[in-house]
Amino acid sequence: METIIPKSSTALASLLRADFTTLVRNRRSVVLALLVPNIILVSWKGLVKHTGGPFVLATAVVIGLMAIGLMGYSITIARDRDKGIFQRLRVAPLPTWTIMVSRIMVQLFMIILLTLVVFIVGYQFDGILLSVSGYVLTFFVAFIGGAVYLSLGQLIVGLIKNPETVNATTRLVYFLFIMTGMFGDLSQFNDMGKLGPYLTWMAHWSPYGCVKIMTAASMEPTKWGHDNNMALLLSIGYTIVFAAIGIKNFKWESR
Amino acid sequence: MEYGPVKAVKNISFDVLQGEIFGLLGPNGAGKTSTLSSIEGLIKYKTGSIIVDGQEVREKPLHAKAAMGVQLQSTSFQPELNVVEILRLFAGIYGVPMDKDKIHGILKEIGLEDAAGKKFSQLSGGQQQRVSLVIATIHNPRLVLLDEPTTGLDPQARRQLWERIEGIRERGHAVLLTTHSMEEAEAVCDRIAIVDHGQIIAIDTPQNMIDKHKNDPEVIAVSRRGKVTLEDVFIALTGRAVRA
Repeated sequence: METIIPKSSTALASLLRADFTTLVRNRRSVVLALLVPNIILVSWKGLVKHTGGPFVLATAVVIGLMAIGLMGYSITIARDRDKGIFQRLRVAPLPTWTIMVSRIMVQLFMIILLTLVVFIVGYQFDGILLSVSGYVLTFFVAFIGGAVYLSLGQLIVGLIKNPETVNATTRLVYFLFIMTGMFGDLSQFNDMGKLGPYLTWMAHWSPYGCVKIMTAASMEPTKWGHDNNMALLLSIGYTIVFAAIGIKNFKWESR
Repeated sequence: MEYGPVKAVKNISFDVLQGEIFGLLGPNGAGKTSTLSSIEGLIKYKTGSIIVDGQEVREKPLHAKAAMGVQLQSTSFQPELNVVEILRLFAGIYGVPMDKDKIHGILKEIGLEDAAGKKFSQLSGGQQQRVSLVIATIHNPRLVLLDEPTTGLDPQARRQLWERIEGIRERGHAVLLTTHSMEEAEAVCDRIAIVDHGQIIAIDTPQNMIDKHKNDPEVIAVSRRGKVTLEDVFIALTGRAVRA
């Protein structure tokens, strides 16, 4: 009976395999996470000539990122915590960071998949074509945007234990961001609605607005300017604050 | 070990030997699960020490966890995974090579060959406990911790699980289990400790404990069948009041 401490890499590989299997088995929710942004992309075809392709593509990417971070990540974390799945893993000889890294890797894969699908659908249905540097930069920015919403998801599961309350809260935040973000976006067009200067400023620099203007600019790298640098810095700031509070307050058990 | 102002466990001391089944008995809230959770590394204790396989749990948590196998009170696995995938996951986590033949052998041994593709939630209570137990011992640990392993099982499934627990002992593992069932304690435990208010109030073999207390007036007063049982001793030592 020799005690062997397994390598963290072996444990992480096993966790990854299990978490990706779980993702494949939940393909309906994967499809739904991809469907909403693509419905927007297709239905906003008429807006492309008014706002430009990057505006429409960026909106679709950001809405998808929010769905991944808020719904995909936080709801499954809350559910698994409530079922005691994390407790079973925590009594095994693996560092706890491997459990979370595995979960985040799955979400990163979803971000890549979402961005790819939005690019393909955007080209096929709306005829939006970006430069190579635009595509590459958008992938990087999508990761940063994804980090903002994953950390926001972490904040929610860190502060709220009950899975039903987590579910309701993430949906509320998702809806709130979409509404304020869209009204904020649309207020730039004179005849399409106004939030007023204060609310427009808030929507502009909200986690939705920052990721949105960053993503849109990344599709046209030559237009990247001071506003985008500010949005990038704010996004990193949001991620650090949300993640720090979310991790500090996170409990592995729901009771 | 404290939960706010309440000390859940204080001055508990016991050893579990290789090839022994040691039972922790106590009313609800006595401190059994807290004791087990400390050994498992789920709760951080402030004072005292827990040594597993020669290593202090607080200082070498990964070594201690690698030396023990755990079946939690309500074990749950990802509901999307089937039995084979769960076995593969935990074999990987514990660093145990696992090929198809080995998995087939394990499933055959626990009588679940036909359930290989079933999800954990689709198994009966007894089948779930068998899977949990096989995962707890998949890496051949020195110490096996079982938290109320037979709760909710029918008599057949319970008997079968007792035999499996005895099989673990026969293979030389040390087994520490908690239970509310005095019948279970008498049937499978070599030694037991009765815990109440976070302290051990009695520790011995089940039979010795009965023999030692069978003439106590409190024990005779609670005895219901004319013959003193372990449950009578337990009730006499911990009181008749219902715990939360």
